[in-house]
Amino acid sequence: MSPIKKIVALTAATLLTATLTACGGSTPPTNNTSGETGNSLTVWAWDPTFNVYAMKEAAKVYQKDHPDFSLNVVEIKWDDLQAKFTTLGQSGQTDQLPDIFLMQNNAFQKNVLSYPDMFADYDKAGVDFSQYPASVVNYSTVDGHNYGLPFDNGAAIAAYRTDVLEQAGYSIKDFTDITWDEFTTKAKDVLAKTGKPLLSGQAGTADMIMMMLQSAGASLFDKEGHPTIVDNDALIKVIDTYKGLLSEGVFQAVNTWDEYIGTFVNDSVAGVVNGCWILGSIQSANDQSGKWGITDLPKLTGLSSATNYSANGGSSWAISANANYDLAADFLKATFAGSTDLYETILPSSGALANWLPAGKSQAYAQPQPFFDNEAIYTKIVDYAAKAPSNNTGAYYYEALAAVSAAVTKVTSGTDLATALQEAQNTVEFAMK
Amino acid sequence: MSTIAPTKPNPTDPPTSSTPPGRREPRRRSVATPPGDSRHRTRRSTVLGLERRHSLTGWAFLIPAAALIAILNFWPMIEAFILSLETGKGARLHLSEPLWLNYTRLFNDDLFRLTLGNTLIYLVVQVPIMLVLALILAMLLNDPHLRFKSFWRTAIFLPCAVSLVSYSLVFRTLFANDGFVNDTLMGLHLINEPIQCLANTGTARVVIILGLLWRWTGYNMVFYLAALQNLDYSTFEAARIDGAGPVKTFFHVAIPQLKPMIVLTAIMSTNGTLQLFDESWNLTAGGPANTTMSMSHYLYNLAFFNNPNVGYASALSYAILILVAILALIQMKVADRRD
Repeated sequence: MSPIKKIVALTAATLLTATLTACGGSTPPTNNTSGETGNSLTVWAWDPTFNVYAMKEAAKVYQKDHPDFSLNVVEIKWDDLQAKFTTLGQSGQTDQLPDIFLMQNNAFQKNVLSYPDMFADYDKAGVDFSQYPASVVNYSTVDGHNYGLPFDNGAAIAAYRTDVLEQAGYSIKDFTDITWDEFTTKAKDVLAKTGKPLLSGQAGTADMIMMMLQSAGASLFDKEGHPTIVDNDALIKVIDTYKGLLSEGVFQAVNTWDEYIGTFVNDSVAGVVNGCWILGSIQSANDQSGKWGITDLPKLTGLSSATNYSANGGSSWAISANANYDLAADFLKATFAGSTDLYETILPSSGALANWLPAGKSQAYAQPQPFFDNEAIYTKIVDYAAKAPSNNTGAYYYEALAAVSAAVTKVTSGTDLATALQEAQNTVEFAMK
Repeated sequence: MSTIAPTKPNPTDPPTSSTPPGRREPRRRSVATPPGDSRHRTRRSTVLGLERRHSLTGWAFLIPAAALIAILNFWPMIEAFILSLETGKGARLHLSEPLWLNYTRLFNDDLFRLTLGNTLIYLVVQVPIMLVLALILAMLLNDPHLRFKSFWRTAIFLPCAVSLVSYSLVFRTLFANDGFVNDTLMGLHLINEPIQCLANTGTARVVIILGLLWRWTGYNMVFYLAALQNLDYSTFEAARIDGAGPVKTFFHVAIPQLKPMIVLTAIMSTNGTLQLFDESWNLTAGGPANTTMSMSHYLYNLAFFNNPNVGYASALSYAILILVAILALIQMKVADRRD
């Protein structure tokens, strides 16, 4: 008995000590002394192959003119970044913030309104925001002040397997500048002839709904920020269209993100409609090289504001209240808002598309892409981005998104549309109380 | 720094957060009973001095642990209670008007009611099944003639060593449309089309309950096994000599003697299930249409994912605490007839 007890006690003691040391040990790195040091910046971003990589390349560009500049990029997943940011904002510990951090465009309004003291605006940064698409700048603009420098482009694309379309007697042109009604007819034909649906998506998420909604310039909120989920003609049209896609079998619903990626990588679905960042996943299927084509989205019928363009996702760089402001602003201005070189470097290796319009004129964007049948797809996408209508996210975007997702799930399993939307409206109104 | 969730300081491992009463026993005894030789030596000093010295020694041992619990557990709980009376946007909080605003808000919150219902379904369905299974397994493995006993014990306990997140992800993959379960059922020609397990409320809840059973049954079995080994085997032999079959032995000999342990595991499981988070977050992400979301998942969304409403989230955490307390009290009253 007693040796076992000793071992247990020892283990417990060791564990306790280890935990305490771990807690103590982890404090110094997070406690970045960003404001004080003259030539270094700390940055939070989440994707090592995408935004973290782009940031590191930006540092290299900046170092050419500022040899003693150094940059420390800390990799934090978005969910963790949001949780950490909320915790810091709640406890008022702004000194724990890095100089620059990346934020999802959809979360920008909420975070600026909840924790304005955590941000420094771009008023004195000298960045020309007219060189960005207005729809993207609006995400991070609060009361006329810019809080975010748009980074990655969430312009929506429709990508189709050209070989499958050909098999059914279609080409990519037949799917360009069409309406969702035409799309459904043609996709049914493709399904009948090839057995492959043209679209897939995660059940219970509203990505597709939001893209359709934004393509008509509509949103879940009015200008004053009140939820407009009930009596929203565009939303009703969108849900009807979506329901039609599901019931006709041309949209395959799956449970998880991995399954969703799997549907088109594994050949079971022959098309994708999503933000252009999905290109990275599409290109992971090497055997499908040369078999993909890109075009614009189908548009909604019966709405005067309907377009063939939309967006999904995207993120922007924020300067924190704890930043070495002049250095951070100058760095961002010289790189993400002023260096074509940077965008030329990061485009081919990470597919990071610029929101900065001057970069779209660069030669790198006009390069033909072998994977997409030697088409210069990036020039096309930059063009789509400029045409995408703006989306009013509001501070309660995530609540509304969750409520509408739930409503759509209920509608597809038989609940009356008006009832489901009224419930969603109530949920969002309750959250805003 | 304040914590918003006093009842779930570590949601990843609910049952360990409550110390089983049994473990406290030895510590108290070692403090209370002074070693024999020191009693002899200190007889010369006054009785008061002796008692004082002993009690001081006791306190010296107690203080570090007590201080840690007070600082890391009780203080955040008090802070969270104050927070639950506050309202406001972001960090600009002020006392709400009336003070109990966040608590009355709970009664009008459809999502809270839904998540409460979900959690209670898990509780009512999963905990009894799990405890009965654990009891049966413990009885089987307590058989002295069983071969490869330690292998079985380890195998059944092993799921507990798996991280909650990893097993949730594995279950999600198992029950995917093209996952193992659907493939097997299709292969056996039991179904023609894959069942969308995670897209329907009923099946998604069943998957979560299956996951919970897999993960926690072995854990509870170990408690029963430990208790069974402390029982006098002669009571079982006596029952057998008296002609009782295995079923009668189980109900009339084993269960009455295991009662304290059953109460303990029931309270721990109730506590753990009410704080369920990882499975809801990772396995089903709360879907479809929030019908598998647990209370703690909703709490997390309120505090971190949606517009931060920490006051309300704290009130919700207190609601969970009160529920755990009430259920534990009922279980203790119902089961404990010793006094």
